[in-house]
Amino acid sequence: MNKELFDLASWAIENAKKAGAAASRVAIDRERSVEISYREHKPENIKEAAKRSLSIEIFADGRFSGQTTSDLRKKALEEFIANAVRTTRLLAEDPYRSLPDPHYYQGRSTADLQLTDPAYSGYTPEERHKTARAMEEACLEAGGDKVISVTAQAQDGENESVLLASNGFEGGQSSTFYAGVASMTAQDEGERRPNGYHYAVAIRRSEMPGPEEIGRTAARNTLDLLGAAKIKTETLPVIIRNQDVSRVLSGLLAAMYGANIQQKRSFLADKRGQKIASEVLTVIDDPLLPGGLGSRTFDNDGMAARRRIMIDKGVLNEFFVDWYYSRKLGWEPTTGGPANLLIPPGSRSVAEIMQELGRGIYITGFIGGNSNSTTGDSSIGILGKLFENGVPVQSVAEMNIAGNHLEFWHKLIEAANDPWPYSSWRTPSLVFKEVVVSGV
Amino acid sequence: MQAVSRRSFLKTSALGLASGALILDGGWLSHANGAAMDYFAAEFGISDGLCEKVLAKALARGGDFADLFFEHTISNYLILEDGKVNRAYGEVALGVGIRTVKGDQVGYGYTQELEEKSMLAAAATAATIADGTTATLPVKFSRVSLADRYPLKKLYSAVPLSDKLPLVQSANDKCFALSGEIIKVNATLNDQQKRILIVTSDGVKAEDLQPNSFLAASVTAERNGRRERAGYNFGGRREFSFYTPALVDELCKEAVSRVLVLFDAVKPPAGEMPVVFGPGVTGILLHEAIGHGMEADFNRKKISTFATMIGKKVAEPFVNIVDDATNERLPGSLNVDDEGTPGQKTLLVENGILTSYLHDKISARHYRVNSTGSGRRQSYEHFVQPRMRNTYMLAGPASPEEVIGSVQKGIYIKDVSNGQVKIGEGDFAFYVSQGQMIEDGKLTAPIKDVNIMGNGPKMLANITMLANDLQMNRGGAGMCGKGGQGVPVGFGQPTCRVQSLTVGGTQA
Repeated sequence: MNKELFDLASWAIENAKKAGAAASRVAIDRERSVEISYREHKPENIKEAAKRSLSIEIFADGRFSGQTTSDLRKKALEEFIANAVRTTRLLAEDPYRSLPDPHYYQGRSTADLQLTDPAYSGYTPEERHKTARAMEEACLEAGGDKVISVTAQAQDGENESVLLASNGFEGGQSSTFYAGVASMTAQDEGERRPNGYHYAVAIRRSEMPGPEEIGRTAARNTLDLLGAAKIKTETLPVIIRNQDVSRVLSGLLAAMYGANIQQKRSFLADKRGQKIASEVLTVIDDPLLPGGLGSRTFDNDGMAARRRIMIDKGVLNEFFVDWYYSRKLGWEPTTGGPANLLIPPGSRSVAEIMQELGRGIYITGFIGGNSNSTTGDSSIGILGKLFENGVPVQSVAEMNIAGNHLEFWHKLIEAANDPWPYSSWRTPSLVFKEVVVSGV
Repeated sequence: MQAVSRRSFLKTSALGLASGALILDGGWLSHANGAAMDYFAAEFGISDGLCEKVLAKALARGGDFADLFFEHTISNYLILEDGKVNRAYGEVALGVGIRTVKGDQVGYGYTQELEEKSMLAAAATAATIADGTTATLPVKFSRVSLADRYPLKKLYSAVPLSDKLPLVQSANDKCFALSGEIIKVNATLNDQQKRILIVTSDGVKAEDLQPNSFLAASVTAERNGRRERAGYNFGGRREFSFYTPALVDELCKEAVSRVLVLFDAVKPPAGEMPVVFGPGVTGILLHEAIGHGMEADFNRKKISTFATMIGKKVAEPFVNIVDDATNERLPGSLNVDDEGTPGQKTLLVENGILTSYLHDKISARHYRVNSTGSGRRQSYEHFVQPRMRNTYMLAGPASPEEVIGSVQKGIYIKDVSNGQVKIGEGDFAFYVSQGQMIEDGKLTAPIKDVNIMGNGPKMLANITMLANDLQMNRGGAGMCGKGGQGVPVGFGQPTCRVQSLTVGGTQA
């Protein structure tokens, strides 16, 4: 744990106590990051950022508030904390607000989650430029005469944070990240200029794909959008591409949060132990995954993180319940939200699955849309490829899928073998049968 | 209040001020200067000499111009849940962003410490975008005089908590009183006072105080074991005195009536059909279908579907669409943009002809036109981008009844929650939270939770009727996202008919 941040956090807790807080919890974050983007063979943007912030949650007279500032000078902080305590005392009482029972801090993993790249400090400005340039050049080359514009961006950063609570919790974490994204706009019929992209993000540089691969894939994704048409409304199997699954999955997850359950806006509130999806759907939250982008040994409440099977072969097993809503609901807490979400992959590739399905739509993007966590109703625009005889034949746009989560996930028939590695949600492509895809 | 004692206090406690501003109940902060002038000089010792020095550093390797964007923003949330205002959140943001521009290339650094050493280091980062050996010399800057479109006679931070709390509490009690079917009420009061100072190497110094706030109520209702949820909000660049008991009455009536109607909702249709937009918040249609595509960065790079359409007919002659910073107290109203250009009104479509893009300084130089005052950023941590302000369509001659009456079978849209556009294709979508079927020219069963899609240029050509009832969205919670940055925007339109859009329902 970073000693400087730790000392400042302990000092802040001491000050909150002096100012009259019964309890407090302090989080301090410090981040440095660099981003460089290239366009037309030269740097378009160069940006360096160093930021820090202190957040304090105050528990005073049975009341609660949370305040954040970026000024970490002690004199300023002293006044800031005193004001935060005064403010808190003016609110209404909330008997459910407290720091967690320290019992829940126990059992924290001591494993090395491998969240930093030891080589990070050796990453030079020249290498950053080289990476961005290589992404741009590869995308331009693969895009050929269809290219209108290509932008490539390399980003990286390092972060340190500490979390301290006045009832004994102490935790800290450091991490690094590298990200690369290339995006291309292509000339299509008339005034249509489809934009496609590809990206990757990882903790270690060695886990990143080569910049050329990111650039080439961005070009291919863009060229795949050319000639898009809207086809007639039809009931078809659909395959949702691995990296796009999170958009529909988040609509299901929204109903699994303690706040939504307690506030009576969850369509899953009374479904624990019930089958809410086909047997293909298992959703695991694994905070302890080594090298995972969402990995952590404790959550925002300081509660020790552990692996949980949230949905087990279609059966709703657990909810995401933080300390506060666990008290309001009278339930055992789990954790406030997912760390690394995993859907176990299947054994076949998307291409193999397409072969078997014959005709359907491979969804590679969403537009607009939303999902109602109270009722489960959802409607969202899609783009992607119509495939026939197992082969993509026509790109589609301006089409839509709609339904209710309580029905939709029962249509899941297969998970592909391609979990998306560049996110804390490692989802494989998912295959759904008999989905109404509306168009003309 | 004496300047000397104030200054010496702040010297040791600059953010004590900010934290005090959180939701402090009275106190010395309530005496703070409400006017925008010289705030950063008085509170943080930012002198012209210091700015000149930092700008010179930012241009040490050449470049077209450089600018400094100082920001001090105080945001507060008061939140009601389960019958009580029992939580508050506050945030203070203080920092300066330093930018060096060379052609369309941008170097950027920022610091949260408003001290010379830190600012010079950030300026040195920005300067790396240029590679010359000759420094560009900053021009002597002078203060730009600005309009006053959202005066804040009383700072939000000077409003005692004892005034704010009962207001939020009353939303709870009023919603429950309106219907026995309401089972949960959530209410939020958000206020944000943002102070900015912009100093540029090409001679501009501008300072502004930009307030923004909203009061929102969200309700969940239960009928025969079924639950529905809806909400409403009022806001903008308002004085706190805007939030009267009468306004809370209206807020609660809107929220409660919106949730109860959902129990009668039928499955929305699927496929292409005529769509009538009610007035006000449905102006999100314009925001997605044309507004983003007219932001000049996308056109400069030729990646917008509108890139070659300026001067061409894109809609019927009765269609006029503007993007406007000059409205009083709307979320997108600006006295000055984030590059120091005074706020103004820009015609996007005039009598059906595509007229102007939305420019920041970079695109204005590229097109050899003046900036339209559209350069905006989320905060000192972010680059400037051309952005919308308040986007709306002017009224037409028809009555709203005539517009609805002209449709045999279609849908009517009353409220929307979010939208998105793909700039290059022009394909857009937005999500309808409240609507109705139109059958034989009459509004019939309610519908909800349906995504609507179309294509920008096609949609514009498809606006076939406009009513005389232009309304602006009355909410203040609307944020527009672009390139990872959110800024408050407004929108509006009169009742209008679009001949054909794709409705993403379930009833094929």
